[in-house]
Amino acid sequence: MSSTSPEAQHLVRLSGVTKTVHVGLRRRPVTILHGVDLAVGHGDVFGLIGPNGAGKTTTVKVLLGLMAPSGGTVALRVDGLGAVGYLPENPYFYDYLSGREFLSFCARLFGLGAGERKARADSLLRDVGLEAAADVHLRKYSKGMLQRIGIAQALINDPQLVLLDEPMTGLDPIGRIEVKRIIQRLHDQGRTVLFNSHILTDVEELCTRIAVMKGGRIVWSGTVAEALADSPEGLEVFFMRAVGAEPGAGFGDGRPAVVGEMPS
Amino acid sequence: MNQVVAIALNTFRETIRDRVLTVIVLFALVMIVAGLWLGSISLEQQGRMMKDFGLVAVTGFGVIVAAFIAATLVRKEVEKRTVFVLFSKPVSRAAFVGGKFLGLAATLAAVIGGMGLFLFVLTLLVGGGASGMVLVATALIYLQVLTVVAVVVFFSTVTSAILASMLGLGVFVAGQLSHNVLSLSRVGAGALTEAVSWVVFVVIPNFNAVDVKAAAVGEMTVDWGSVALWAGYLVAYMGVALAAASFVMRRKEF
Amino acid sequence: MRRWLAPLAVAACVAVVVGYQATRPARAASDPRVFVPSATFFEDFSPGYRTSIADVYYLYMVQYYGEHIETDQRLDSMAALVDLVTRLSPRFTRAYQFGTFALLDADEGAKAYEILQRGVEANPEDWNLPALTGFLVYGFGKGAEKERIAAEWYARAAAVDGSPPYVARLAAALTAKGGEKEKAALMWAQVYADGDKYSRAKAVTALDDLLPEGREERMRAVAPLAETMPEATFEEFLAALFEDYL
Repeated sequence: MSSTSPEAQHLVRLSGVTKTVHVGLRRRPVTILHGVDLAVGHGDVFGLIGPNGAGKTTTVKVLLGLMAPSGGTVALRVDGLGAVGYLPENPYFYDYLSGREFLSFCARLFGLGAGERKARADSLLRDVGLEAAADVHLRKYSKGMLQRIGIAQALINDPQLVLLDEPMTGLDPIGRIEVKRIIQRLHDQGRTVLFNSHILTDVEELCTRIAVMKGGRIVWSGTVAEALADSPEGLEVFFMRAVGAEPGAGFGDGRPAVVGEMPS
Repeated sequence: MNQVVAIALNTFRETIRDRVLTVIVLFALVMIVAGLWLGSISLEQQGRMMKDFGLVAVTGFGVIVAAFIAATLVRKEVEKRTVFVLFSKPVSRAAFVGGKFLGLAATLAAVIGGMGLFLFVLTLLVGGGASGMVLVATALIYLQVLTVVAVVVFFSTVTSAILASMLGLGVFVAGQLSHNVLSLSRVGAGALTEAVSWVVFVVIPNFNAVDVKAAAVGEMTVDWGSVALWAGYLVAYMGVALAAASFVMRRKEF
Repeated sequence: MRRWLAPLAVAACVAVVVGYQATRPARAASDPRVFVPSATFFEDFSPGYRTSIADVYYLYMVQYYGEHIETDQRLDSMAALVDLVTRLSPRFTRAYQFGTFALLDADEGAKAYEILQRGVEANPEDWNLPALTGFLVYGFGKGAEKERIAAEWYARAAAVDGSPPYVARLAAALTAKGGEKEKAALMWAQVYADGDKYSRAKAVTALDDLLPEGREERMRAVAPLAETMPEATFEEFLAALFEDYL
């Protein structure tokens, strides 16, 4: 995979983004994001990786405007939410709708006309391999089928930027292969993809750039090649070092690993 | 507007298939037919009994549907996280609230309209003649029920579904006692009591300004001007409740 | 064996449920004195459901009457029930009608009269209620004035559009019985003017008894009656009235 030129204008830029929530009866402040700096270039397949509770999903939500940042800036160089597609983690859709009805509903939210809705739905159902199940209710879809219809609804508006939160979670090997093919196709079409994942082999295979999150901070970002240069044993080892999970954690060049857990 | 229509249609599809709704509607129809039995012990007053008790059944079941289904409209989307799918698209919180409301309004139009029509036909066939006022009364009951829906939708944005339902039912009952609150505000029990009573009177919806059932059974003639004014008041009240719900939703994070 | 145990147990339970209910003894007659809230209470707390509550109490009233008239003949709370129903639903004419006869059975004719008067005020377009009031006064009233008062009620009923001819005839007859002969004559003349063939025949018969026998006196007595009808009708009226004098 080729990476974008560092000088290219970033499609997504988060600068010093913080997010604090107030929990419990006493409204105790808990900081989830501690000054996140993130830049995603045009055409990148960007992988955001980190342990559970690192703040990956929160970062995506802040990007989408589902949560407002407590500090910092979020810059999205796209044409509003109309140019963004999003697949949430463990998606649940309206199980009384069929696949086709659900895509038509999503298309209508973007103001597409009846003819265009039908055309887009049919085309996407073909692209994600759900043509045969188009008129089956979503409650009868398998996990893999739900992920695929989820990707389809994320693409219904022909978005520039596609955000996928754990797109491979819970899929069997065939399901994972299908989703990886879809992501590859998105990249080939020139779209920018940002996805969170725990499956580092997939990240290594698909991504042009990655960022490692721990404790609400970006502890490392760069290209996959740079990561592998640091840790030729593979991305898993690199990741373990980056999050300080290995004995003698830290990088050989003296860069400190981040220690400590995210406050809970 | 597209978003409102899309969400409304989706909500209509969701609620009209709800099994709870089917049970409630069937029960309401049974209650209406029970008016036939009541009529048989009323010394030839079957028509009046059927209209009166039938309209009470339509009101009661309409309010129950409103309270319990409306409360889950917003909650379910948040709990099942379908809000992520919606709000990651260019859908405003107001469009979401409006669409949810309109979708359930469409379902209730079918349910309450169906019950009202059933009652009308029943009184026509076995009640010694039907009056168009039954249909007018049904329409006004529909407006009352929609007001309860709007109130419950608001409560569901700030509290749990079950509490929102209970509060909605409470508001419906309080609305029936609206005139008592007005009396309290004019009773001369002290400026604070009167002021608080007046505020409560304005805040709770006024559901007894027009006695629709009395008109349907011929107890009184209808002042169409008053009815139109009352209908306009209820629509405005719904607008305020939904605006409040939208405001709360705008400040919510998911 | 085990397979049959569950259905057998269910069947046994069903048998117990049905058997228990089937063997309950008939309920002893309830107390004739029942608690009846005031109409004000319901008007204050549920104005939107006034008619529904009236209907519930109407049904209760009918059952209450039926139960007690068959057993102890005690209708102690009848007046309170009729009062409540008619106050909550003043245009529920059936309630007045049933209530009147029930109150008569309860020996509360005066209460029935009071309630009927309210009913007449609330239902000005209904001739039944003033006619019923007239019936109540004439049939169950006491005193020398009862015919006159009953006649007034029937006259009031006759003045309502749609009242049947017999009501006007009753009004006239009772007026005569009450001793107001001139007024009665006028009323019979009105009956003749407005009535059908049967009413006219009745009017002529009644006036024959009311008017003086002498031809001259009769002519004088009849003259004012010309005001009550058109000229052509009056000529027919005179012809019928003076048939025997020709």
